[in-house]
Order: sequence, then structure tokens, then C-alpha cells
Amino acid sequence: MLRFALTLLLFTLAFGVLSSSPVFSDLILAKVDRRIDLTSQIVRITTSLKVENAGSNPISEILLSFPENQAKHLAYLTATLNEGKGKGKASSGAGLPTEVVIPKDVPDSLTFYSLSLPKGLGKGESLLLDVLAVFTHALEPFPEKISQADIQLLLFQDTAHFLSPYKVMVQSLAVKLPEARVESYTKLEGTKLSGSELKYGPFHNIPPFSYLPIIIHFENNQPFAVAEELVREIEISHWGNVQVTEHYNLFHGGAKSKGEFSRLPCFCDYEFLCRYFVRARPYVRGASAFRRLVARLPPRAHSVYYRDEIGNISTSSLWGDSKKTELEIEPRYPLFGGWRTAFTIGYGLPLRDFLFESDGKRFLNFSFGSPINELVIDTLIVKVVLPEGSKDISASVPFPVKQWQETKFSHLDLVGRPVVVLEKNNVVPEHNEHFQVYYKFNSLSMLREPLMLIFGFFFLFVACIVYMHADLSISKSSASYLAKVQWEEVQATVQQIHNIISHCLTAHDKLEASLRDLSRTGDVQACKATRKSVDSLLKGVSKDLKPLVTFLQSSPQAAHILPKVEELIAKERDLQERLMAKHTTVVDCYEKKLGGREIENRIASNQQKITSLRQEVDDLMDFIDEI
Amino acid sequence: MAPKAITSPVPDSLYPTLSVLTLAIGLVLTASFFIYEATTSRKTRSLAQELTTGAVASVFLGFGSLFLLIACGVYV
Repeated sequence: MLRFALTLLLFTLAFGVLSSSPVFSDLILAKVDRRIDLTSQIVRITTSLKVENAGSNPISEILLSFPENQAKHLAYLTATLNEGKGKGKASSGAGLPTEVVIPKDVPDSLTFYSLSLPKGLGKGESLLLDVLAVFTHALEPFPEKISQADIQLLLFQDTAHFLSPYKVMVQSLAVKLPEARVESYTKLEGTKLSGSELKYGPFHNIPPFSYLPIIIHFENNQPFAVAEELVREIEISHWGNVQVTEHYNLFHGGAKSKGEFSRLPCFCDYEFLCRYFVRARPYVRGASAFRRLVARLPPRAHSVYYRDEIGNISTSSLWGDSKKTELEIEPRYPLFGGWRTAFTIGYGLPLRDFLFESDGKRFLNFSFGSPINELVIDTLIVKVVLPEGSKDISASVPFPVKQWQETKFSHLDLVGRPVVVLEKNNVVPEHNEHFQVYYKFNSLSMLREPLMLIFGFFFLFVACIVYMHADLSISKSSASYLAKVQWEEVQATVQQIHNIISHCLTAHDKLEASLRDLSRTGDVQACKATRKSVDSLLKGVSKDLKPLVTFLQSSPQAAHILPKVEELIAKERDLQERLMAKHTTVVDCYEKKLGGREIENRIASNQQKITSLRQEVDDLMDFIDEI
Repeated sequence: MAPKAITSPVPDSLYPTLSVLTLAIGLVLTASFFIYEATTSRKTRSLAQELTTGAVASVFLGFGSLFLLIACGVYV
């Protein structure tokens, strides 16, 4: 590292002597304020630049440079124009487009990023820029291995002068540390350490490509949670749910743990004191280990689960309000340096928060990164599973990712569901922006799933029908087969007789009902009309019954029910006649305007017989029904 | 044009009620289908009635089982 810094110093001196190419001397950085945030495992460098155009041509792009070993840790770079004049005003608007360029006549081992300005910077004009650069794995643990009782110390190397292809007039550097304890730091002139903030500068009139290395060795006990691989699967179902499943493969990315691990709160120092007394020596139990992780899920998340290969992990808690749902999870053991764990988190979300429709296309609007706070992900794979029947699939992500399509077979699938896979390396929480996946879907395709189930059930019913209709007997002339056929015929005939008799009984009921209507309304004509219709019906019935009874008499199988059937028919006829007689009597009485008592007397004996006959007929019908 | 949020065709809270209702109707129709099969003899059976009862029962059972799956959290 030191050798690299020395070569760079030599380079800058040589370069400064040769004087840079004309392109670079046009712009001057009037004021540069750098703030390095070292409070977590992710290093964030915020640079405020005041750029002045000292040349004669308008400038449309600004170059930012990073040393190569720092650039390979660069995860996120964004630059915004600061519209406000004062320091307090935050920069608004979207970031400027940045891309990697390789300009001519520059020293090697530098990576350049070019920012395109929306409108060019004219001659003599100046503007304010805010640049945020996020680095992962930029803090080196030093010492590399610590025991459970040691504290975690980290090394951070950077340059005190802003490394830039332009000349810098005034610049300053402020480093924010997590705790007030700093082991050592490079002391230049004017360096101040106040509390947990380290200030370098201000430096004046620094030539381009100037690099002044500084090293800070400090204590940091923030959780160093690094996910080696995270696979996020987002499954959309048009029946109302978005199901997210996240598979984590975490490890602790800080100083590796050596020696033994103990959960005991007391420590017996056997070497010195065991013989005489045991002294409880409180010691720092792995201050750099982390026990819990906090995840921010979208609001209205339901059915949240947290499990691993063994099963459910119950050390978790969930609470939510209208803006977010917070999930706090504790792995099965605290994670010390170098230790790994793997688990799965899953939750469901309502469809209407994430799926929208515009211009005939549907799109899913979802967040890209992991919901866990301050998590560095080495490889992030996001899979969006769309319902079967989706066409014209395209994804739009605000930063470059690798994408391809797969197929997944899930519930009630015929050809499989299309999956859009997005892969990105080196992901930080700043990448938690929303991305969109567009597709076309015909609403009728949703019916395919219930239709599959309906056809399944219908197939069962058809199989049943086929079984009942199929004649599976081997010999068609054996005695038992013939007997069975005859018995079925007898059964059919008896059923027909049963149906006819029930028709008759309904006709009887109609007669009774007409009598009751008569007593209520006194309409004799209607009553007579009913009697006429019932009469004709019953005459037809006796004609129908004749062939059926003859068949029964001829069949040998029906020998035991034939007497009952004949008895039934005879009783029914008797009942019929008595009912008709009663009906005529009542109608006559009404026409003669006789009183109710008189009517009762005349039909009394008939009525008794009618009720008893009706009871017997009903019993016989039940008996015949049951054969 | 502001994007319009897409929701499910049936409100989420109705899925359990709908599944119980449709499954109940479907099972009643299945029962009537099997009673018809058991009580009629070969001569008096009518294929049209069997097929219609079976078709209507399978429609209700199909939708009922779909809503049951969704109400249990298996969003197919």
C-alpha cells in the first residue's frame, strides 16, 4: 500500500512538471469539502465541489477520479447539482448520468468517471456539485484476528488531498468516526481531533493528481453483516398477493475470531487465583459480534416467517404501523468475526400496493435491495416470477444489472411461469430504489386455473358415470346374470308405479286444498273446476297402471311384492272414491248454503276412513320405496 | 396517465366465505348425483341428467377448491 502511494506521488510530481493536457486546465475546483463517514462498515464519502470554468469553451462533462484499489470497492456513485446558495439547502433533482471513461494522457492505476452536465457550463460560470461515493470492504481489520475479549480495530487509508484531474484552490477534509476512541492517525499540519470527528486542512492551491496518503486506525463495533449471496424471489399472483422469499447467506466481515468461544459471564483466571478464590473478572464479551438484525419491510406485510434448514427460528419480533413493518431477527447464535449463518425470510404483501396498469401494460414497482439495515451484499440475485401467460416482458432498473429469463414450475402450471432474473454485485443500502418489470397479461388467462380444477372434478364424475353404465359381466347367459336383469326390470316397474301413485296423491292433496279454499273464499265454481281436472287425471292414471301390473304379474321375481303393490293400488282407488264423494257433498252443502256444523256431520264417517286409508297408503309407499 | 393499481377480481376478505358457500353447494350437488346413481335402475337412468348434475357440481367444486386454496394462503 505504501509502495503504491509512493509511486503515485512520484507520478504526480512528474505530471505536474510536464503540465496537464489542455482539457484538464479549463476547469478549476474553487472549493472542495470532503466528509468521510466511517460510522458503519460501509464507507460513505460526500464531496461538495464548486466548479469554475476558467477556459474559453463551455464544458459539458466533469471527470472524477479514484485510485484503482479504491475504485474496485466502489459500490455506488451519484452526483447531484446543488441549486441552493447556502450550505443548508439539500441538493434536489435526479443524479447526473455517470459513466466510466478512459481519457488520454492520464496516469495508469486511476479510474475515471465522467459526469454529464444537462446544460453546459459557460465561460466564467461556476456551479455546485454534491458527489456521494459508497465503498464496501474498504475498512481493513488490523489486527486481522482477535479473540473474544479483544476490541475490533480497523484501518482506513485515503488521501488528504482530493485526487482530481483539476487544480483545487481550497479544500478541507472531515472524517466522522463511530466512537471517540482512535488508536492512531496520520498527523499533518493543522490536523484536529475533536470528539469523534477528525479534521484535516484546509489546503490551498493543490495541483491536479495530488495524493497525500493518510491512515486512520480506529475502533468500530458496528455490526459487520455481509451477505455473501442473497436470492430474493418475488412471486406475483393476480388473485391478490405478492410473495417475497429471501434466502440469506450471511457472514461477519470484520476481524476474524480466534481462540475459544464462551458464553459464560464470569471468567475464572485459573492461572493465578483458582487455588484461593475465584475472581469474577468482567470482560468484554465480543463487542464486535452482532446478535440481531433489523429489517424494514413494506407496510401491510403479512404471513412473515423466519426459518432456516433446521426449521423455524422463534427469536424474532415484528411490529408494524401504516408506514412500515419492522422485523427484528436474532440468528441462532451471535456472529463473531468470520462466522457464517444462513436463513430464509418470507412475507406476503397486498397486490394493490405494487402492481399497476398503464398504457395497456401492467408493471410491478418493487424495491431492489434487501430490507435489512446496513447490509452489504456481495452478490444479489432478484427473481421476479410472473403469472403464467405473461408476454412482452421487460425490466427497467435505475442502475446497470445483468438480466436474463428463466421458467419456474409452480402450482397449477401447464407450461411454467416466466421469471426475470436480475443480478448485481456489490450492493449497498443506497441501491434500495424501486425498479419496474413490465408485461402484458390477458385477464381471461386468470380463468385457466379454475378451469383446470373444474375439468379435474368433471373427469371424476364422468368416470363414475362410465362405471355405472358399463356392463362388466363376463357371461351374458348365466342364470345369475339373467336373474339380475329381471330383478332390475321389476325394480324399474315398481318405481314407475310408485311415481304414478305419488301423482295421484298430489291430486288428492289438490282436492283437499280446493276444499279449504272454498271454506275461505266461498268460490264454488273454482272448486268444481278443480274437481273436474282431478277427475280426468285420475282416469288416465288407472289406464297407465294396467300394463305395469300385468308385467309384474308375469314376472317370477316380483312374487313377494306383487300382493303389496296390488293392495296399494286397491287402497288408493278406495281413497280416491271416498275423497270424490266427500268433495261432492261439501260442494252441495255450500250451494245449499248449509251451516258448517251440518257439513261436519255429513262427512264425519267418510273423513275418518279417509285419514286412516291415507296413512296406510303412505306406509305402503314407503315400504315399496325401500326394496 | 397516472397508473391505476390492480387488485384481485374478488375482494380479499371474501375468499373464505365464498369458498365455504361454493363448496357447500358443490357437495350438495355431488350428493344428489350419487343418490340418483344409487336409486335409479339401469332402465330409468337418463344420461343427460347425470351429465348436467355432474357438470354443475364440478363447476362449483372447482371454484370452491380454488377459493379454498387462496384463503389458506396458497396463492395459485
